Amino acid sequence: MRRVVLLFWLWWAPFGLSAGELPVGLIPLDGRPAPPLRLADMSGKVTDLKGLRGRWVMVHFWASWCRPCRKEMPSIQRMAEQLVPQHLQLVMVNTAETDETVFSFLAVVTPDLDTLMDRDGQVTDRWQPRGLPSSFFVDPQGRLRYLALGGRKWDTPPYMSFLRALPGSLPPPGGPKNGPK
Amino acid sequence: MQRLSILLFASGWLVVAYLVSSVQAQEQAPGPIQGNKEGISYRLSVPTVEQIAAFYEGRGFPRRAIQALTKACFITVFLANRRQDVVWLELNRWRFVDAQGKEVPRLPRPHWNALWQKLDVPPAHRATFGWTQLPERRDLRPQEPVGGNVTVVPPRGTFTLEARFYTGARKEGKDIVLRFAGLACPGRAAKEVNP
Repeated sequence: MRRVVLLFWLWWAPFGLSAGELPVGLIPLDGRPAPPLRLADMSGKVTDLKGLRGRWVMVHFWASWCRPCRKEMPSIQRMAEQLVPQHLQLVMVNTAETDETVFSFLAVVTPDLDTLMDRDGQVTDRWQPRGLPSSFFVDPQGRLRYLALGGRKWDTPPYMSFLRALPGSLPPPGGPKNGPK
Repeated sequence: MQRLSILLFASGWLVVAYLVSSVQAQEQAPGPIQGNKEGISYRLSVPTVEQIAAFYEGRGFPRRAIQALTKACFITVFLANRRQDVVWLELNRWRFVDAQGKEVPRLPRPHWNALWQKLDVPPAHRATFGWTQLPERRDLRPQEPVGGNVTVVPPRGTFTLEARFYTGARKEGKDIVLRFAGLACPGRAAKEVNP
């Protein structure tokens, strides 16, 4: 019984976080279903958000011309190195840039990160981020739970603690780590 | 020999004068205005025609779009809400007034959308342009930043921006007014853009 209660608590714990308890710049969302997202990366490999049910997904919208996007990108790579993709999957979406621009940017700034390409910007429009960069947290049932406004250092303690509070998203400190790809 | 020396001396001065004049002809973007007033931190600058053209050319915008963009006056604004309550960014509460007290018309999103339609600008460039503009309306939560451009019909001479913000979740708080005087958009002709 105690185990059931603990599991229940772990599952719902992050949903109970109020705006005041969240790290700076994160706001809770109302749990509406996430808009569709089905895009290919630069090599043509398609990712469909529907196929990621059962795990948390961080959907990150960005563009290389956006200064805060450029600034936070290295910290996203460091954060991603600590994620367990089976539990928290990072999905990056580039907004309306060309393959050439994105390829040359990522190769220099964050060579280990891959991104989906929203070539005409229509998917980004449908998600209505409040600006670039924006990160949505989609729960394992495909509902929008949190939005991160603007850029930040994702690998710093307040944000890593937040990610650890998402059930099963991260190994305990010192546990096994996986790369972002 | 003396003639040749005078000729060389004179042509040297001509070259120097030409170089100086061409350097002076390049527009210099004035430095950004930045600060914090009643919990709204701000940074504002007016990019030059060359800077606007270079930014959008770098993103592959077609020539016809660049020509249209460089006829407008861009004001680049970054704001961050450092207060504990909500600050309302509503561009319809921003007033641009020239030195004679005449209103300077803003070029809102519908103006650009119609223009991109007319010029058959590709959707990707329309999207990028949209993301580089300040939102028309935004409830800025505590610590929320926002940035982008506001465009106006280039006024003759200097102009003033008076930006008003509601505060509080239901706009129940005291208004905050930011005032930026002495702004200028050199190198753009007022007649060329119709809002």
